Amino acid sequence: MKNLALLILTVFILGACSNSSNKQGGEKAGTSKVTLTAAGATFPMPYYNMVFKNYTSEFGTLLTYGGIGSGGGIRSLTDKVVDFGATDAYLSDDKLAAMPAEVVHIPTVLGAVVIAYNLPGVDGLKLSNELLEKIFMGEITKWNDAAIKANNEGLALPDMEITFVHRSDGSGTTYIFSDYMTKISTKWADAVGTGKSLQWPVGMGAKGNPGVAGTISQTEGAIGYIGSEYAFAQKIQTALVQNSAGNYIEPSIASVSAAAKGEIPADTRIMLTNSADPESYPISGFTWIILYKEQNYDGRSKDQALATVTFLDWLVSADAQGQAEKVHYAPLPDAAAEKAKTILRSVTFDGLPLLK
Amino acid sequence: MNSAAKITAANLSRRTLKDKLFKGLVLFLSLITISPIVLIIYKLVAKGYRQISLEFIIKTPPNTFEAMTALSNGELIPGGIANGITGTLLMVVLASVIAIPVGVITGIYLYENPGKPLANLTRNISDILQGVPSIVLGLIAYMWIVKPITSGFSALAGSVSLSIMMLPMIVRSTEETLKMIPQSIKEAAVALGVPYYKVILRVLIPTGFSGLLTGILLGISRILGETAPLMLTALGSSVINMDITKPTSAVPLLIWEFYNDPNMVDLIWSSSLLLMGMVLTLNLVSKRIAARTK
Amino acid sequence: MNLGKLQAKQFSQLLNVHQMNSDKITKGVLLLSSFVILFVAGGMIFSLVEGAIPALKSFGLSFIWSNNWNPTEGKENYGALPFIAGTIITSVAALLISLPLSFSVSLFLGEYYRGTKIAKVLGTMVDLLAGIPSIVYGLWGFYVLRPLLIDLGLPNQGFGIFTASIILAIMIIPYATSLSNEIITMVPNELKEAAYSLGATRSEVIFSVVVPSARSGIIAGYILSFGRALGETMAVTMLIGNANIVPDGFFSTGNTMASVIANQFGEADGLKLSSLIAIGLLLFLLTGIINAIGKFIIKRMG
Repeated sequence: MKNLALLILTVFILGACSNSSNKQGGEKAGTSKVTLTAAGATFPMPYYNMVFKNYTSEFGTLLTYGGIGSGGGIRSLTDKVVDFGATDAYLSDDKLAAMPAEVVHIPTVLGAVVIAYNLPGVDGLKLSNELLEKIFMGEITKWNDAAIKANNEGLALPDMEITFVHRSDGSGTTYIFSDYMTKISTKWADAVGTGKSLQWPVGMGAKGNPGVAGTISQTEGAIGYIGSEYAFAQKIQTALVQNSAGNYIEPSIASVSAAAKGEIPADTRIMLTNSADPESYPISGFTWIILYKEQNYDGRSKDQALATVTFLDWLVSADAQGQAEKVHYAPLPDAAAEKAKTILRSVTFDGLPLLK
Repeated sequence: MNSAAKITAANLSRRTLKDKLFKGLVLFLSLITISPIVLIIYKLVAKGYRQISLEFIIKTPPNTFEAMTALSNGELIPGGIANGITGTLLMVVLASVIAIPVGVITGIYLYENPGKPLANLTRNISDILQGVPSIVLGLIAYMWIVKPITSGFSALAGSVSLSIMMLPMIVRSTEETLKMIPQSIKEAAVALGVPYYKVILRVLIPTGFSGLLTGILLGISRILGETAPLMLTALGSSVINMDITKPTSAVPLLIWEFYNDPNMVDLIWSSSLLLMGMVLTLNLVSKRIAARTK
Repeated sequence: MNLGKLQAKQFSQLLNVHQMNSDKITKGVLLLSSFVILFVAGGMIFSLVEGAIPALKSFGLSFIWSNNWNPTEGKENYGALPFIAGTIITSVAALLISLPLSFSVSLFLGEYYRGTKIAKVLGTMVDLLAGIPSIVYGLWGFYVLRPLLIDLGLPNQGFGIFTASIILAIMIIPYATSLSNEIITMVPNELKEAAYSLGATRSEVIFSVVVPSARSGIIAGYILSFGRALGETMAVTMLIGNANIVPDGFFSTGNTMASVIANQFGEADGLKLSSLIAIGLLLFLLTGIINAIGKFIIKRMG
C-alpha cells in the first residue's frame, strides 16, 4: 500500500516538474499553449519528428505526431480527432467524396523507393524495366541469368537464387513501387496492379522498412524495395533504374527532387513515378498532409485553425525544406512549394481565408 | 527375505528409480526453459547497457539527425526516454486503478458462486478476453473513448485498453487462489458472526495475498510492453505529458518509433532493458510486500 | 429481567438486520463487478459486429472457409481460412511446447527447490519474461533465433509457423508458470505429509496429491497462456513470413489472425478494414470455441 502511494506520488511530482519545464518552453515564444495533433504515414516519420520538434523549440506550439499508417491518418481526420493527417497516397476522387467535408492535400516532402540488394562485391547493378518485370514476377530466378548479365557487362554475377523480399504490411512505399511497376509493365499491371498491399506473385514478406532491410542484409542474393531515407541512412547496396528518358539513374536527393520538376496539378494530387525529367529517379513520390478546407468544425477554435495553417505554411517554406536533405529526404522543388502555399491560402475559417 | 518382502523391495527400488528419473526430467526441462531466458536477457544487456545513464531517464528522445550525427561520430546517441517512462507510469497506474478492483472483486464473486450460470458465463468471457489481440482492444478504446469522450487521442483511452488487457489474469488468479484457501478458515470467521465484507477484507484477501499479487504482477508486466493498442489510443508525444486527456508517449511506443527510424534502432535494446528493469523492480517490491503480509 | 431480555433480543435482531444489509450490499458489489466484464465484452462484440457487417454482407459465411485474400483494388476478395489455420496451428503448437516446460519449472519452484535462493532467482527471471515487449521478442527472434534455425536447416530464411510457435511458447511460459507455482505452494502441507508418511516418493506425492489439489489453478494458468498465444501480434508478425496461404506443413510460412490485423490495419479502409474487423470477431468466437473444447476434454479426463 505504502509503496503504491509512493509510486503515485513520484509520478505526480515528475508530472509537476515537467509541466513547469513545458511552461518555460512556451514562455519563450509568448504564444498561448496551442497543441497540434497529427497522425498518419510512417514513411516521413523521421523527418516529421525532427522538423516538428524544431518548430516547437522555435515557435512554442507543441506538435504530436503518431506514425500509425496512412490509413490511420485518414481515419483520424475523418473522425476529427486530429488537426491534420498524413498520407503517402493521395485520396482518390471516391475517397475524397466519402470524407465528411472538403479536404485539401499539401505535399510536404519527397521520398523515393530504392531497389536494394545483397550481392557482396557487385556494386552498381543496372536493372532495366524489362529486368525488373521479369525478376519481380518470378520469371528470372538466378542472378547469373543471361539477361541480367547482358545488361551488366563487367559485373561478376554469381550463380545464386534471387530471393525477393517485399513488405508484409500495407504501406505507402509499396504503393509507389507498384505504381511504377504498373506504368512500366503491362504484365504487372494486369496481374498485380497498384496498391498499398498486393497479391505478390513471388517473394516473402517482412514487416516494415527495417524488416525488409534486415532480411536483405542477412540474405545473400536477396533483392527488395525500401524507402530511400532508410536505404541512404543504412548505406545499403542500391540498383540503378532506368527512367522514362532511358537514363540509368542512381537514387539521390537531386535525382528524387528532379522527379517533381514536371507539371503538377493545382491540387497537387499526382504520382511522380516514371516522370519525364531526364535526370529524375523514376520511383519517387510526394507525401502529403491532409486537412479540412473549412476549419470551423466541431467547435474548433480560430486559434487552433490559425496555428494549424501557420505551421503548415512553415513546413513548406525554405526553412523547413532545407532540413530535409540532412536526413535523406528530398525537398519540394519551388513550383510544388508555391502550389502548396496557394492551397494553404484557400483554407478558411467561417468562409474567410486564415492566411494572407 | 521372504517373497513378499522381496517384491516390496523390488517395487521400492523401481519406484525410487522412477522418482529419480522424474526429478531428472524436471531439472532437464527447467534447464531448457532457462536457456532462451538467459539468451534474451543477455542480448538485451549486451546491446543496451551502454546507453543506460541518468540522461537516458530524464531526457526526451533525440531527432533522427542528432542520432545520425552521433552514430557517424561513433558516439552514444544523446537523449533519453523520459516521456515514455512517465507516460508508461501514468497509464499503467491508471489502468491498475481501474482493473485491480474490478478484477479482484469479480474473482471473489466467481469464488463465492461456483456453479451459477452467471458466474460460469463471466469466467468464460474473461478467458475469451485474454485471447483478444491487443490491437482490437485498442480499436475498441478508440471507438469508445478517443472519438466520443476525449475527442482526440488520450492517455485515458490508452489506460482503458490496457485495463481490459489486465482483467482476465487478475480475475482468474484471484479465483484460483481463493479456492486453495482451506474452507475451515473461512467457516471459522463466518461462524463467529463476522459480516461478509469483513470476511473478504480481513480473512480471504490477506490469506490469498501472494496469489492475488502474482496475478496483478502478471497483468502489469504484460501491459508494460504493449504497443499496438497505444498506437490507436495514446498516439505518443515528444514531451512529458501528465494530462490524461491528451496524447501521451509510452516506452513501447518509443520502441516502435525507434524501430522505424533508420538512425535510432540501437535505442530499442536500452529501452527494453529499462522496461525490464521496471518489471524487475516491481517484482522485487511486491515480493517484499507479500513476504511481510505472510 | 424481562426488560433486559427484551432489550438484548432487540439488540441482536438489530445486529442481524445490520449484518444482513451489509451482506446484501457486499453481494451486490460482487455481482456488479462481474457485470462490468460482461458489459465490456458485450460492448466489444457489438462494436466488432458493427464494423464487420460490410464484409459479412459482401462475402457471407463463405468468408470463413475462403482461401482467397486479394487486396488488389477492383478485384477485392477476402477470406479468413489461411489466418484461422495459422492461428490454430501456432497457438496449439506453442501451448504443447510450453506445457512440459512451464510445468517443470513450476514444480522446480514450488516443490523441489521451494524457498531456496535459486528458486527465487529462477522465479524472477521467468517473471521478467512477461515484461519483455512483444516487439523485442520479434526482434530477438529475427536476429538471434532465425539464424540459429537457418543453420539447423530451416527453409524460407527461417520464417514460418515453426519459428513463430517457438517464440510464442517462450512468451507464454511465465503465465502458466507463475500461476501454477503459486497454486502449488498453496497445497496444504498436511495432505503431502500424510502421503509421505505412507511411504510415497516425491514424484508420487506430486502426482497423487499436489497435482489433483492444484488441478484447477494449473489448468487456469494454461488457459491464460493459450489465450495469450492466440492474441499475440507483433512477435508473430515478424517471424511468420506473412504468406496468406493455408500452411502446407509445419515449416511453411503462413499468417495468423492477430498478425494480419496488426499488419494491415494501419493502411486499411473500406471493405478491407471491415474484413479485418470480421477476422477480429472470428477470433473472439474461435477463442470461445477452443476454450470450451479444452474445458470439456479436461472435465472428461477428470
